[in-house]
Amino acid sequence: MRLTLGYVPLADAAPVIAAATLGFARDEGLDLALSREPSWATLRDRLALGHLDAAHMLGPLAIACALGLSGPQADLCVPMALNLNGNALTVSNALWAEMAPASDALPEVAAAFARVARARATEGRPLTLGTVHPFSSHSYQLRLFARAGGLDLDAHVRLVVVPPPDTVDALRRGLIDGVCVGAPWNAVAVAAGLGRIAALGCDIAPDCPEKVLALPATGAGFAPALIRAVHRAGLWCADPANRPALAGLLAEQAGLDLAPALLARTLGGDLTLDAAGATRCAPAYLRLDAAVYRPDPAHARWFAAQMTACGQAQGDDLTERAAALYRPDLFDGATGG
Amino acid sequence: MTETSLTVAVIDPSPARAAILEEGLRASGVDKVVVIPDGPGLQASVAALQPDVIVVHLESPSRDVLEQMSGLSRQAERPVAMFVDRSDQTMMQAAVDAGISAYVVDGLRNDRIRSILDIAILRFNAFARLQRELEEARSELADRKLIERAKGILMARKSLSEDEAYKLLRRQAMNEKRKIVDIARAIVTAADLLG
Repeated sequence: MRLTLGYVPLADAAPVIAAATLGFARDEGLDLALSREPSWATLRDRLALGHLDAAHMLGPLAIACALGLSGPQADLCVPMALNLNGNALTVSNALWAEMAPASDALPEVAAAFARVARARATEGRPLTLGTVHPFSSHSYQLRLFARAGGLDLDAHVRLVVVPPPDTVDALRRGLIDGVCVGAPWNAVAVAAGLGRIAALGCDIAPDCPEKVLALPATGAGFAPALIRAVHRAGLWCADPANRPALAGLLAEQAGLDLAPALLARTLGGDLTLDAAGATRCAPAYLRLDAAVYRPDPAHARWFAAQMTACGQAQGDDLTERAAALYRPDLFDGATGG
Repeated sequence: MTETSLTVAVIDPSPARAAILEEGLRASGVDKVVVIPDGPGLQASVAALQPDVIVVHLESPSRDVLEQMSGLSRQAERPVAMFVDRSDQTMMQAAVDAGISAYVVDGLRNDRIRSILDIAILRFNAFARLQRELEEARSELADRKLIERAKGILMARKSLSEDEAYKLLRRQAMNEKRKIVDIARAIVTAADLLG
C-alpha cells in the first residue's frame, strides 16, 4: 500500500524518516513516501484535506486542527508520539551579555531575561523572540520561561514566527533577540557564532511532549502497519550505536544540509553553548528512546492547559476532547504492548 | 468596505507566478495589489501594508509567520483572520489543490473573498498547466535531438540514408517493444563510450 507522510525537516522527524528509508515500512507491506513540507501550516492543510495520509506534526497543532482551532478542521488522531524535548532557547550574544546571569541555573537565567525584557519594554523597544508556530510547545515553553522569571511574556515581548531554517539568518540580521526552536537549529546558531543557548526545553518543562504521528481518525486501515513501522524505526533511533548512521540519514534524507558530526552530537545531547566553547551534556535534551513512543493522553491535557493559559482556546470540555485524540489503545493494539 | 479600498497582498516563492496573479487581480478591478517578497522582511512588510487579503502559495515557508500574525488580535498589529471561508469545504479543497491559501481580515464580505480566490485558483491552475506544457515541449525537443544524433551516427557508421537510418531505429524499437527515443539514447550513449 502506498502512503504519503508529510514532515518538516527537523531532528525529531528521525523515526518517520528511518521508517521510510531503512526498510521498516517495506517490512510492513507499506510503500511509504516522504513529503517534505515547507511550513507547519501547509503540512496541516494537506493532512486535513487528504493530500497526506499521515504526518510528523507539532502535538498542539494536531490537537488544534482536530478541534477546529487552526486551519480546516479534520478528524485526526494521535496513535503515537515521536519524541520528547528537543527545543532550546538561544539568545543573541548581545542579549546574553546584557542579561549576564550569575549562573546557568534556570531561575537566574529567567530572572535576568525578565529584567532586560522589562527594561526594553519600558523604553518602548521590546525584545523580539522567535517561535515556530502559535500552536507549538516552543510558544508555551517561552511563556513558561518568562513566568519562571516573573514576567508576562505577551505583555512585554514581541513574539514572531521564524521558519527554523531561517533562525540563524534572523539572528544574524538582528531581526530577533532570541528564538525557541528544535534540534538541530540551536546548535547551528551557536556553531555560526551568533548566539548563546540560554535554556534547554527540558530545563523549562521536563519531558515536554513534542512531535506526534498524526493520522485521520477514520478510514486509516493502514494505521496498525504504519504504527509498527514507525515504532520499530523509533527503536532503531533509540540505540546510541545507530547515532552516526542516523545523523548521516538526517543530513541526506531530511534535507538538513548540515555537518553529520554536529547532528550526531546534538542527538546525544552533547551541546556547545556559546562561541567560547562552553559545553553541556544533557542526555534528555532530545529524547528518542524506547519510552517516548506510546502516546500519553496526559500530554494532550498539558497542551490543552497551555492553550487555555495563553488564550488560544477555552471551554470546559477542551481538556478531555484533546485527551481523547491521543490513542494509546491503537498503539498497544499495533505493537502488542 | 468599498470595492476600491481593497488591498490584496500576494506572497509566492515564484516571482513569475506572483506576477501572473497580480495581473489577474488588477484586471478584475482590485484596487491595490502588492507582491510581498518571501523572506526575512515579510512580517514588517505585511504589518506596514495592512492588507485586507493575503493570498499565499502553499510552498511559501512564510505561512507560519502569517499564522502567528493572525493570532495577534490583542496587539497593535492588524488582525489577519482565518483560512478562507471555513464553512466552504469545496472552495478550500479547490484552493489547496491549486496551491493556494489565504488569510483574510475580519469582516470582509464572503463574496469578495470568493471572487479573489476564484481568480487566484484560475491563474495558478493556468500557470501550472503552462509549466507542464513547457516541460513537455522541452522534453519533446530533447527527444527529437537525441533521435537526430542517433540517425547521424547510424548514417556515418553504416553508410545509410537518413530515411534508412530512421527505419532501422523504428524496426529495432518495435522488435524490443521500446520507444524510438530509448533506442536512440542507447546508440548515442554507446557511441559516446566507444568513440
